[in-house]
Amino acid sequence: MNEPLLDLRNVSFGYPGRQVLESVQFAAESGEFIVLIGVNGAGKSTLLDIVAGLRTPHAGEVRLSGRSLLAWPAGERARRISHLPQGTKQELPFTVEQVVLMGRYAYADRWFESDTDRTYAEDAMLRMDCLAFRDRLFSTLSGGEQQRVLLAACIAQCPAVMLLDEPSTYLDIHQQIHCFTTLAELAREGALCIAVTHDLNLALAHCARVLVLDGGKLEADLPIGAAARDSNWLARLSPLLRMAQTPDGKPWVLYR
Amino acid sequence: MSGRRNGLVSGIAWIGGSAAAFLAAACLLPWIGSGSIGVDRVFAKAAPDYPIFVELRVSRTLLGLLAGGALSLTGALFQSMLRDSLAEPYTLGVSAGAALGAVLTLAFDFDRLLGVPATWVGALSGAAIVMLIVASAAWKSGRLSGVRLLLSGIALNSICSAFILLTGSVVRERHSISITQWLLGNVDSVSYPAVSGFALVVLVTSVVVISQARGWNLMAVGESWAASRGADVKRLTIAGYCCGCLLTAGAIALTGPIGFVGLIVPHLVRSRISPDNRILMPCSLLLGGVLLAGCDTIGRVVLAPAELPAGAVMAVVGGPYLVWLVRRRF
Repeated sequence: MNEPLLDLRNVSFGYPGRQVLESVQFAAESGEFIVLIGVNGAGKSTLLDIVAGLRTPHAGEVRLSGRSLLAWPAGERARRISHLPQGTKQELPFTVEQVVLMGRYAYADRWFESDTDRTYAEDAMLRMDCLAFRDRLFSTLSGGEQQRVLLAACIAQCPAVMLLDEPSTYLDIHQQIHCFTTLAELAREGALCIAVTHDLNLALAHCARVLVLDGGKLEADLPIGAAARDSNWLARLSPLLRMAQTPDGKPWVLYR
Repeated sequence: MSGRRNGLVSGIAWIGGSAAAFLAAACLLPWIGSGSIGVDRVFAKAAPDYPIFVELRVSRTLLGLLAGGALSLTGALFQSMLRDSLAEPYTLGVSAGAALGAVLTLAFDFDRLLGVPATWVGALSGAAIVMLIVASAAWKSGRLSGVRLLLSGIALNSICSAFILLTGSVVRERHSISITQWLLGNVDSVSYPAVSGFALVVLVTSVVVISQARGWNLMAVGESWAASRGADVKRLTIAGYCCGCLLTAGAIALTGPIGFVGLIVPHLVRSRISPDNRILMPCSLLLGGVLLAGCDTIGRVVLAPAELPAGAVMAVVGGPYLVWLVRRRF
């Protein structure tokens, strides 16, 4: 039997007195670009943490390539899943290139990274448009530049699954578009990208599938075409939203 | 690609340079002190130069090198592991905990426990207990808070210092003098078996710590970051706590509480040489040793024939540096 790349089965998570996720269930294949949408506190980051293996679900199971996520050794898991966390410390003492090379941790078996590792890091920096400041200290960069460096580290990891918690935070408008274009490109090259975002138009323009979390439950799981036609899910985010179209016929979310 | 590797080459050159400084300190510092020692008389094994040289100068230089290295490596380790640039054995209260443990064994006149010097056992227990208390106080919803870490470290530091003073004032005079002497942080009067035992501890723990240098780099960014790059965060954290406690306790048991070396050296190396723990940690280990042995040498020269404790010299150097660091950072 051919199991999907990523398979969540009835995943639940909570703290005493507060249920964060309730029986979340979906499967995803390589090459998909999925956005995970929901209001603050809907459980998006927790769900991403669970898929990344950073938290253990209280019930249910996450399966990666037909094998329980918990059964993967840390190094092998890191060669398949990379996770961009939110709110990384800003005063890191490292240079940009040192941070990007951290993405190669699971590959370098020697004391120092090989030339192959450096090539991957360089490609990733090129993709995320941060090669020009590779030798600068991370702590001297602006928030948006830092975010691009962290994204480059995730890309240098060459994962089959990329989990991105608000990847476009702090990015200027051009870099936001660039970021989502790059993620769509990575998906076309075969990666499964799951991004948490609040920018609906950026999401509708680039991704192929929308997951909507509300109160810890997966309330909608729509391919992009259906998400554009059936806009009931917008009401879960805000009563002020309305689905419209751009002059060339693409879906566009307006707010009153 | 070759130009890119220059950073590594210069890093390795720095490690080599630090090792050379370490060796030079080991060879040269024993010759410096109040009352000159004749080179020819030492090599001829003539009294009193030879016994002074071997029994006093060499052993205390070695102890200074090892203890300074141990404390400074622990500083580098805690700063990465706890993601706090002010973390070191002294600011976290671990040194004070080790000191209290050692003072209690002095006060109760224990000589040896479980076959090793009693002060070691006391210091290790004290360090481990304080580390556990400080870390659990700073633990909040799955992550360590830097402010809580330092605040609880300061609190534990005061509590341990208070108990040290109490212990010193209730014991008999003979004990109280030995406690006071030990508390000043000195590196003299140490036996070779003790130094070699400590050398073994430093060697083993620093190999364990430094071999995980890439993991500490990841930890310095964040625990989630480290975990999703493929590091075993739990194993790293346990190894870090154990090695940090062992290194601190060993150094404190033999020298008394010495602060600042774990702050000055890693910060200097980080800003001047490399923030990469593969370079930072070995350089801190070696240069920390040079700094403490150097402070000890200064202490026995400036007011000769009187001797200043190495800990006091270190505080005179380290205090202003800390002020400067705080001024620059915040």
